[in-house]
Amino acid sequence: MDLLSIGRIAGTLTTWWWLLLSLAFFLYIATDGTDLGAGIFALFSQDEEERGAIMASMAGMWDGNESWLVVAGGVLFGAFPLVYGSAFNYLMIPLMFALWGIISRAVAFEFHIHAQKSKRFWGWAFALGSLFATFFAGVSLGATLQGFPMKSGLAAKIAATGYSTPIMHFSGGILDFLTPFSIWTGFGAVIAASLAGGLYLCARFIPGDSIHERARNWTNIASLLALGAIVVTLIWSYAIFPWAAAKWTGSDWWIWLAWIIIVLLFAYKSSMNHSVRKDFSAMMWGIGVVALLWAAMWATIFPYVVPDTWTIVAAANPADSIAVFTLFMTGFFPIMIMYNWYQIWVFRGRFSKKLAYAGH
Amino acid sequence: MIIENSLPILLSRLDFAWITSMHILWTPMTIGMSWLLFIMEVAWLRTGNERWYKLNRFVEKIFIINFGAGVATGVTMEMAFGILYGPFSQAVGPFFGNILGFETITAFMYEAGFIGLMVFGWGKISKGMHLFATFNVGLSSSLSAMWILVANSWMQTPNGVVLKDGLFQVTNWWNAILNDNFQWGFPHMWVATVELALFVLAGLSAFFILKNRNADLFTKLLKPVLLALIIVTPLQIFIGDSIGRVVAHTQPTSLAAMEGHYHTYLPDGKVNTGWHLIAIPNAKNDGNVFAITIPHVLSLLETHTLNGKVTGMDSFPANDRPDVWVPFYSFRVMVAIGFFLFLIAIWGNWLRLRGKLNASELRKRPWFLRAVVFSAFLPYLAIWCGWWTREVGRQPWVVNGLMRTYQGTSHMPVAMEIIWWVGYIFFELTVWAGSWYFFTRVIKKGVDDIPDSSTLFENHGDNAEAHPGGGHVTPTFASKPMLRSDR
Repeated sequence: MDLLSIGRIAGTLTTWWWLLLSLAFFLYIATDGTDLGAGIFALFSQDEEERGAIMASMAGMWDGNESWLVVAGGVLFGAFPLVYGSAFNYLMIPLMFALWGIISRAVAFEFHIHAQKSKRFWGWAFALGSLFATFFAGVSLGATLQGFPMKSGLAAKIAATGYSTPIMHFSGGILDFLTPFSIWTGFGAVIAASLAGGLYLCARFIPGDSIHERARNWTNIASLLALGAIVVTLIWSYAIFPWAAAKWTGSDWWIWLAWIIIVLLFAYKSSMNHSVRKDFSAMMWGIGVVALLWAAMWATIFPYVVPDTWTIVAAANPADSIAVFTLFMTGFFPIMIMYNWYQIWVFRGRFSKKLAYAGH
Repeated sequence: MIIENSLPILLSRLDFAWITSMHILWTPMTIGMSWLLFIMEVAWLRTGNERWYKLNRFVEKIFIINFGAGVATGVTMEMAFGILYGPFSQAVGPFFGNILGFETITAFMYEAGFIGLMVFGWGKISKGMHLFATFNVGLSSSLSAMWILVANSWMQTPNGVVLKDGLFQVTNWWNAILNDNFQWGFPHMWVATVELALFVLAGLSAFFILKNRNADLFTKLLKPVLLALIIVTPLQIFIGDSIGRVVAHTQPTSLAAMEGHYHTYLPDGKVNTGWHLIAIPNAKNDGNVFAITIPHVLSLLETHTLNGKVTGMDSFPANDRPDVWVPFYSFRVMVAIGFFLFLIAIWGNWLRLRGKLNASELRKRPWFLRAVVFSAFLPYLAIWCGWWTREVGRQPWVVNGLMRTYQGTSHMPVAMEIIWWVGYIFFELTVWAGSWYFFTRVIKKGVDDIPDSSTLFENHGDNAEAHPGGGHVTPTFASKPMLRSDR
């Protein structure tokens, strides 16, 4: 085999971008997941002061965290435009609702500080926005796992002749995304974010502070729900996705089993640290669980970007574009992670509700 | 009727036009103002003069509201190409997709990473580090503008690509990135952001002087701003003329629409050299019902000769002609604003020459101050109009001459396009109304309650009092969760 053939190199590079895509999405879930979960927690806040304190606790970081979603979108567009242009068309409704949620919470951050009479309104915009963004992101993920129908030719729903293109466009109905499974993954995302948000709030506020204490109970409940949700999702996926079932029960079944055991170990470490109020460690172990499950999901999907719809090779940009993208963009990933980390580091430390709110 | 004006395609255009128009309300201020904040911070650090610190912190409050609105509307933009124009995104992926990827990785994330430090990092990071953060916000937002203009200019002049297997495959990266339209299009947009930010500062200053609140402080700000404007406003007119001639060469239909220029030749066979001050295009889009015309001016503008030939709409098939109403009038409004702002800059600097740029003299000239406050709003309208000219003038193409808009439109029902639009009308207007309302709140609070810069590094510890209006959150103990012993 010719090791230096263009096709081979391009295939390797696109797989590399597939990994970076999963990394960007993971960083989004890991960093913004906690922010979104804290927003869901704020749905049950008794007063505006508490919502204000929760928002203030992430004031310097949230937009950096949220921008990983934009980076993931940019990587998708830059490396896999064929997926970007068809999957987003398919996900029009859930993405629209998620974006509306993101808009609401983004402006709520800036407005809540200055508001006097409308504090309540923006507090709710923050909490509901977080819920919507999480739920519909989960729906989008579930819907993507199910794949979507495509055909070539004109995509727009108009009567026009004389245009042909070999490119495969989304061709299904606008409600195709809506299935019991995708609704379930929406709830699953809300549960997962709630757990992450609880762990974050425990680590962010001083033990004994009202937010910390309520977040503790919240986390205990959310962790049980999350364990249940993982089991349900695995069984459900096994039942409806032949590509997943084949991989999990194939000759490499023991790797998947070992992986699950490691996940359980991480979850156990997280819960032990949580119970002795080593909250930062608990949060990091919890994020470790997310990382492991996320990696397992992508390993299951391989070699697809969208299961049964787009393979990595079919969805990738031409070799020349992928090469340029790799040359100029790869080096920025460690840099991005570095300054996002520095930003989080600067704003580290625990708050009390009163102080965070007053500073807000 | 051309297919781009049929309901499903028109709605998809409106959907995208609406979110773009509501996004471009915020980004120019971020791009231009970040550099002005940087300059103010340098001035503070070099001179030690407290007024630059106060002004910086005050303007920063407006800046961060503006930035939040920009992020809120910007995430939608990043997804909307795939949602509303999926087939377009797929076809242009090899170039346009890469460029948007460059933008998110080298600019969007870069900016988000440093803006939190810049706004909430006061007193938590050293002064030098803070200046570095401000500099990075400036650089990243300008980079962002550059990449977006690369992408959009390429849609106007798609150089360096070949359409093969349904994809725009790149043959020459340099030609594609430094395409004809980009060379003047990016400077035009970038200078517009600086001009907008300068006029916002000038308008703020004029407002405070007019209300006699901190009048001396804001006069100190108004003076350098007016000086900068006397350079920036004519420069922008020059760049605008240059991009106009690029459009004349590369997009003759767009230029013909901008000028309402339907006929290359007059009925008597002579070259049509007339420039329309105003015009009413007919329903068939093949002539003007009414026009006020000045002969020779169009040829003079586009060819720099008295009787040079300018290609009219009648040289192109009917279904390749853009709508005339939008480009014609938005172009005129933009140009008129450009010249009006130049006049304001001249007025201000004429006052300077006569030694009238001090608070008491300025307060005797309320009409000048009112005119400057009014001018703070005009760059927004000018940027809107310029972008509409650009985008509508390119129709019916999404990639000029190569891909028509209907070929790039997503697969979606009309009802869904309407729901999208109605929803975004609600959300974008809420963002707009909220942001402008809170701008007024910040202005109402003014600069008086901004604490002295000497208090920046105080109050760390358990008994810390929060700084009013400082946006400053004090950690109750430093880094304990990170300490080894705590794990």
